[in-house]
Amino acid sequence: MLFAMSIYWHLPLMLLVISLVYSATRHEQWDEILGEAFRWGIRMFGFMLVVALVLYGASLLWP
Amino acid sequence: MSSAPTAPATATPQEPSLLAAFLSYLIPGLGQIYQGRYGKGILFMVSLLGMFMLGQAMGNWQNVYIQSFEGGPNNPRGPGSVAALVNRWHYGGQFWIGIAAWPALWQHFNFSVPNKDDHPFWHNFQKMPNENDVNQFIVNSDKTPDLGWVYTVVAGMLNILVIYDAYAGPVVIAPSRPAGKEQTVPEQAQTKPEGAG
Repeated sequence: MLFAMSIYWHLPLMLLVISLVYSATRHEQWDEILGEAFRWGIRMFGFMLVVALVLYGASLLWP
Repeated sequence: MSSAPTAPATATPQEPSLLAAFLSYLIPGLGQIYQGRYGKGILFMVSLLGMFMLGQAMGNWQNVYIQSFEGGPNNPRGPGSVAALVNRWHYGGQFWIGIAAWPALWQHFNFSVPNKDDHPFWHNFQKMPNENDVNQFIVNSDKTPDLGWVYTVVAGMLNILVIYDAYAGPVVIAPSRPAGKEQTVPEQAQTKPEGAG
């Protein structure tokens, strides 16, 4: 039920589209586009993970 | 004999093209396809239009519109006023997706729309929804509608980058190697005279 309803399943799609489109506007060769997209994907995922962990920690401290 | 300075190798330089930029505004990626850059054009088209449509669907097709006020064109806060955009600033981002966001303008200026009974979806497509209906929908939903309008705005804003790519080519942040060749180190633009510091 949680897996079916969670809005977080939409986030990887946003991450994929933003990193791919952004990288494709900065490079012309596909290997460069995909490499840059991968790096941006990792950065954004890491940022979102940190935010999620901070919010989770806050919810434990102040339920 | 001094050699002429050699420019560093960069990815395909491109002549600025207003037509390609306009085409990419109308439909994301169309300018790139017009320029023969089919792969990138299709990537932009599928990604951005898909994201925009998915965002609308997540918001029950009620999150792309321009605010209208009662009173018609004579009302200073009515159609065409700045207040209409200030109150629905999301459209400032959504607008850049191109034709896909034009029905909101069509609805805002009260042009003719398909009959409500025969085509209820198109009758209300990108029309300002009833506030009570929207509130009811959001109360009964999870956070999906909130993420939905973010999708539509992000898609529109990303298309600004795509328009620039169609206009002037990619914003290359590092020199690219020519296809099939190793990148060469550019010669120094100026040679120091012997004995200089």
